[in-house]
Amino acid sequence: MNSIASRFASTSASAAISRDEEENQVAASMWGSTGGFGNLGQVGIPSFEIPRVPDPTNFLRMHTDDRNDPSCRIKIQHGTTTLAFRFQGGIIVAVDSRATAGSYIASGTVKKVIEINKYLLGTMAGGAADCQYWETYLGIQCRLHELRNRERISVAAASKYLSNLVYGYKGMGLSMGTMIAGWDKTGPALFYVDSDGQRLKGDLFSVGSGSTFAYGVLDAGYRWDLSEEEAQELGRRAIYAAGHRDAFSGNTVNLYHVKEDGWKFIGNYDVTTLHYEGPGNVPGAVPGGYGYDVRTEGLHSRGAATVA
Amino acid sequence: MECSFGLVGKGYTLIASDTNSARSIVKMKNDEDKIKVLTPHLCMAYSGEAGDTVQFAEYVERNLRLHQIRHYTELRPPSSAAWIRRVLADSLRSRKPYQVNLLLGGYDTSDDTPHLYWIDYLGTMAKVPFAAHGYGAYFALSTLDRYHDPTADLEQGLETLKRCIEEVQKRLIVGLPKWNVKIIDQDGVRELEI
Amino acid sequence: MSPSAQAPIRHDFNPYTENGGTILAIAGADFAVIAGDTRQSEGYNIQTRYAPKVFRLTDKAVLAVNGFAADGNMFVKKVKQRLEWYRHAHAKDMPLHAIARLIQTMLYAKRFFPYYVYNILGGIEEDGTGAVYSFDPVGSYEREACRAAGAAQSLVQPFLDNQIYFKNQQAAPGSPHPAHLPLNQVLALVTDSFTSATERHIEVGDGLEIYIVLAKGRNSNELESLKGVAEVTTASEAIATGERLFVLRRELKKD
Repeated sequence: MNSIASRFASTSASAAISRDEEENQVAASMWGSTGGFGNLGQVGIPSFEIPRVPDPTNFLRMHTDDRNDPSCRIKIQHGTTTLAFRFQGGIIVAVDSRATAGSYIASGTVKKVIEINKYLLGTMAGGAADCQYWETYLGIQCRLHELRNRERISVAAASKYLSNLVYGYKGMGLSMGTMIAGWDKTGPALFYVDSDGQRLKGDLFSVGSGSTFAYGVLDAGYRWDLSEEEAQELGRRAIYAAGHRDAFSGNTVNLYHVKEDGWKFIGNYDVTTLHYEGPGNVPGAVPGGYGYDVRTEGLHSRGAATVA
Repeated sequence: MECSFGLVGKGYTLIASDTNSARSIVKMKNDEDKIKVLTPHLCMAYSGEAGDTVQFAEYVERNLRLHQIRHYTELRPPSSAAWIRRVLADSLRSRKPYQVNLLLGGYDTSDDTPHLYWIDYLGTMAKVPFAAHGYGAYFALSTLDRYHDPTADLEQGLETLKRCIEEVQKRLIVGLPKWNVKIIDQDGVRELEI
Repeated sequence: MSPSAQAPIRHDFNPYTENGGTILAIAGADFAVIAGDTRQSEGYNIQTRYAPKVFRLTDKAVLAVNGFAADGNMFVKKVKQRLEWYRHAHAKDMPLHAIARLIQTMLYAKRFFPYYVYNILGGIEEDGTGAVYSFDPVGSYEREACRAAGAAQSLVQPFLDNQIYFKNQQAAPGSPHPAHLPLNQVLALVTDSFTSATERHIEVGDGLEIYIVLAKGRNSNELESLKGVAEVTTASEAIATGERLFVLRRELKKD
């Protein structure tokens, strides 16, 4: 009788029931032979369930933002050091591997470099899940671009895709500071993209709580005409420096090198080992540990000044 | 700590903006061009919320380009300014407003007049002979009150602009070493070295 | 004053609580062990002494969930449902690495209204190796050799780091640390982890459930001799040819 009226009256009991049914409904693509993978090629982005509260953003912040409230339940990991720089021989990407939840070290073996495809790397700072999920999603879209256009996507386009995507969620609580590095027709390209929607093209970036310490080493040692070995050593030393000075960074260094034929994993280095012994017999590395005490052992400043 | 200036002289408009791009206390970039060329005779310096700035500037750029394609003519500066202001005003009343401040400099070729508009994120618009956004306004507006000359030739105009930039570099605690300057006159838009 | 003139009363919407307990998983060369205690509590009250936190997904995949029990149970239910649809569509069980990715997308689908659940997935990979995947509440995940989560995570994980990864241990000259431990040693570490956590953490205790997944063709002699072991492999042909699943139940202190 009053079916039409009740359809528009969202407070009525019948509307509440139908709303619940709607919530439990699943897309047809989840069923049958596609088994949940039938919507990959479709345009548009996945949908997310939003709590039915007046201010969903505030709801999420209340329960997840541990900088506002250390006792909140869902701890999303923060604290990282990542860097990437362009030079004569391609792009160096280096990151640490520590994940923290409050002051607890949740993991020391995190992969903060996300291998989007053979030619594209993304780095992870901020929310681990946000970076992992959206950069994987970006990888899918890059592959679809390749299939549709018989051509690899440019780094500029890929990074802009990601930037436009996260800009759509601005203010909703996503947290990511990422660098997209790769090689395309224009040569090596590097972009910084964050969840504010900022996207910058550049030669040298560092992101995360330890970025200031990394910059301190990086800016001092950076030149365009660095040799490949020198560049790799610079990346290693910069992440070591951040791991040493920033409590939220550390454990190990992961080092990647992007060249014309795609990226290459160079190695994983323990920060403590780097401190005392250095990276070992690696091209470009000076023998000995990176640590100040190790580096200056036996040296002193006693005595009269010597004139140069 | 972003900062931009604009002034009009005899037959031209000058727009200047710093080139820093910062996040928290870190300077991420020092050669970012924050002045967008919108039409052959119209420029826009933008500053404000990260992300919003570029998204808004590109939105405006594409819509004015669309206008040009549809009508075989560029939109004149006063109409462009009015439209841009309206976009910001509508945005302010939406769920997620653009937080962008603008200086719009143009040259109207139909009556040979230079134009300068000061627009903020609230949709406030003023047609002015000179303007500033950011902390630079606290220092440079008095300088401009004292030295601005609407009949100044380009050399004199640049001299005044330099006074403003030097004042900011001398007194503002944050250093803004590099500046991007664009001139809009009857010949169109050019970048200038200062 | 009329009631309508009063300011509306605001109730904060808090759909979360914390139900204590601890879970843990360790991967071996050709097996995986996934364990959890069975106490469920809220604050200082014990709600039940037997609420399982470890669930069989397939004959080669076991999921442990910890955090908010209601969310956890709902989540396991939905994962099982998706795995059943997969079985209907493909006439086989979903591989472990695919289950891991499925769990990521399912958790991330609720990015703005998260499941308050920490997941650990253990089982046998398609190449026959033991594997452990650990997740945060919104879906970031990583394959590891061992992982503890929940109330006593900060007690158990350092112990595991020392005993499994040999962190801060110097290998004796000529005998380097093994990459994988044998099953009997792993089971001993698991029981020791839980008895110790029970001693020092009020939210851990009552009972212990240990699931053991054996790779195809691995002999189960060590298990048969243990007291309280039951085989829970479902596919009857799997007992002869496929992965095999066992559960081992132990008592923990109840005070």
